[in-house]
Amino acid sequence: MASIDYPLERPRPKEGEFSFSETLYRWVATVDHKRLGLMYIVTALLFLVIAGLMASVMRLQLAFPNNHVVGPETFNRLFTMHGTTMVFLVGMPFVAGLSNYLVPLMIGARDMAFPRLNAFGYWIFLFGGLLLYFSYIGGGGLSGHGSAPDVGWFAYAPLTSKAFSRGASTDFWILGILVAGIGSVASALNVIVTTICMRCPGMTLTRMPMFVWVMLIDSWLIIIALPPLTAAQVMLLIDRFLGGNFFNTQAGGSAVLWQHFFWIFGHPEVYILIFPAFAILSEVIPIFSRKPLFGRAAMVGAVVAIGFISLGVWAHHMFAVGMTSWSNTFFAASSMLVGIPTGIKIFNWTATMYGGKLRLDTPMLFCCAFLLQFLVAGLTGIMLAVSPFDWQLHDSYFVVGHFHFTLIGGLVFGLFAGMYYWFPKATGKLLCEKLGRWNFWLFVIGFETTFIPMHFLGILGMPRRIYTYAPDRGWDFWNLVSSLGVIAQAAAIALFIWNVIDSIRSGEKAGDDPWDGWTLEWATSSPPPEYNFEKLPVVRSSRPLWDLKHPHDPDWKFEQ
Amino acid sequence: MAHETHHGEAGEHSEQTHIEMPAPTFWPMVFAFGVALLLAGIVTHWAVSATGFVIAVCAAFGWWHDVIPHERHEEQPIEPALRPEPILVETRSVVRLQLGEGGHRRRIPEKIHPYSAGFWGGLAGGTAMAGLACLYGLIAEHSIWYPINLLAAMVIPDLGQASIEQLRAFNGLAFVAAFIGHGVISVLVGVVYAVMLPMFPKYAPFWAGILMPLFWSGLVATTLDIVNPAMNARISWPWFVACQLGFGLVGGFVIARSTSISTMQAWSLAERAFLEAPPRDEK
Ligand SMILES: [Cu+2]
Repeated sequence: MASIDYPLERPRPKEGEFSFSETLYRWVATVDHKRLGLMYIVTALLFLVIAGLMASVMRLQLAFPNNHVVGPETFNRLFTMHGTTMVFLVGMPFVAGLSNYLVPLMIGARDMAFPRLNAFGYWIFLFGGLLLYFSYIGGGGLSGHGSAPDVGWFAYAPLTSKAFSRGASTDFWILGILVAGIGSVASALNVIVTTICMRCPGMTLTRMPMFVWVMLIDSWLIIIALPPLTAAQVMLLIDRFLGGNFFNTQAGGSAVLWQHFFWIFGHPEVYILIFPAFAILSEVIPIFSRKPLFGRAAMVGAVVAIGFISLGVWAHHMFAVGMTSWSNTFFAASSMLVGIPTGIKIFNWTATMYGGKLRLDTPMLFCCAFLLQFLVAGLTGIMLAVSPFDWQLHDSYFVVGHFHFTLIGGLVFGLFAGMYYWFPKATGKLLCEKLGRWNFWLFVIGFETTFIPMHFLGILGMPRRIYTYAPDRGWDFWNLVSSLGVIAQAAAIALFIWNVIDSIRSGEKAGDDPWDGWTLEWATSSPPPEYNFEKLPVVRSSRPLWDLKHPHDPDWKFEQ
Repeated sequence: MAHETHHGEAGEHSEQTHIEMPAPTFWPMVFAFGVALLLAGIVTHWAVSATGFVIAVCAAFGWWHDVIPHERHEEQPIEPALRPEPILVETRSVVRLQLGEGGHRRRIPEKIHPYSAGFWGGLAGGTAMAGLACLYGLIAEHSIWYPINLLAAMVIPDLGQASIEQLRAFNGLAFVAAFIGHGVISVLVGVVYAVMLPMFPKYAPFWAGILMPLFWSGLVATTLDIVNPAMNARISWPWFVACQLGFGLVGGFVIARSTSISTMQAWSLAERAFLEAPPRDEK
């Protein structure tokens, strides 16, 4: 029984030793993957609050019939900016931030493969976001028409042509997204090269943590899916500035072409966004069930399959366009195929919990809610994949309810699980568990109250994107309920932000390994030093830290 | 505390005092700013693009100087205070579940019948079934072609309107259709049988020979009106059930007689994907 005398209360060098300008320089000039990861996540949270406030204004406007909180033009700008921000300035930086912070730590590396490219990726994403928001000031253009973009987040042609979208707002939409997209591609490339080239000795692909696997596939999807969008945006710029006619139907162009281009990007994009949640669940559920992930190989296979199939389903967003019945059949069938690997994942997470010693801390609570809500999202997704059903509910609030179940009930819940789980690693402090529970329950109640009624509203025929409605449609009650849910959601987000600030200032010390983890990030100190590991680790199984904690019973005796 | 402490590879100390890390640089940020301005000029003013271009070029040179001819590094001192806490060894040991252990739900068969057994079993069962059906035709309608024509009515709608005389007579097209249809379905059902038989917990012959044919008869009885209305109008259900039982008993018997082969479930992923040679059967 060798016991090494080691002070648990260790003195830490203080950040306060640096002056303000030095601290600023250390953040602005950093190439450290951990700092950049945190910068991505904090920026994403800021944009989340902005886009969330926009959503709140929209719900306030829709709470009562014939309401006049905002006018129709403002409402169009609100939903456009809300959608665009949530997808490109919240979801995408979360992907980049999480993979930046965690991938090198999990594979036992000192940094990303291209540290300077990494910094470039963050900054160009930020400048892209600022360019988009600059449209509120500069969107009027020389002719003084319009402010923020108002063409919807998928900016369908011909709405984006010069004739229908005067002023510069659409140009800001194009350029902001295009610039931010450069950052996404840069960081995806970095993740791919890092996971392929920089794994520590012994970490074969079969031993790589599930999180890293999912982020690797996610990065491939980004590399494949973003270029079509960028290409289409450049074509749109040519249409708008050089008199091109790619999307101008009257001059032989095709408006449907834009839809194809957009959704070839747009559908994989929703998987790009949901994959980080898959990655988080695959780490959190095993730790809080005290069981290794059920069916690791099948889980990797399922992620690869989802990534592959998701590249061939895009036109299920276009059933109402009037494609041939063969196309409709093909895209309905391929969309339903996604249900198989997704089902495998849901079953495997559940099987991981089955018979486990469950610890229902806040991260795990968010995972449990994810499983139920994402299941509902998947089922309404399969309903919408049936093209005749889609003809009935296309562009209705049913669709809005469906994708908010996916992206909030799925992605945001997953992100909360991840933030509660890894916050102690990044800061050395635990988030307050009591506030965490309040955060969870308020968010669940608010989420369900807001988004379940949207399904009913859709079935009752309420189209999306209308800025108000007459009182005799039977939509009043559910709209009011839906809007009331926003209060609980806003309270939950506010509690979370307070929890973060308060815990950083005076939270409980976490120690290096508060959850009794199994992957390498828990083997270094919290927060980790710049160089992550003093000596690069050598691993022999998929749970290296388990092996160290159980020298008599290591995983490598059982894994092949 | 009965904990043993342990430093493990990840927390090990190294002999060095410094670790080389990439040096901080603000050129990537400046370059990003330049590129953003360059593009923003498209919608604002060409002067913005020009400024952006100049900034981007300067930043590119700055960035190149960071890596050419040698990547700039920064020596990070190893801070003893930043060393991780020692890893605690768990004193509790782990009991691993063994396959087949009491309480462990095991439904996956370790040995299965080969697909070929299903193929031959299906053919044998199909022959027995056809024999019984022809016997029925002979007894009830004095013609072995009667049940064959009725079966073919599923794919040849004209036969649905045929008179009883026409149904009793030989019809070449109907014979070919019925022969192919019956053969293919028999073989497929035989293969399904071969796969499913080892999964039944007990009394496989009973399930395969009696209960499955009864289930199948029930399924056909509820759907035949849609699939083959001509047959539905004329079918004799006792004979139909007898034919199904004939298939189940004969097919099941042939399959059960085959030698079982072990499944790949004990193989590693690489072996199952045939990237590595599968393990030899140990005696
Ligand atoms: Cu889609």
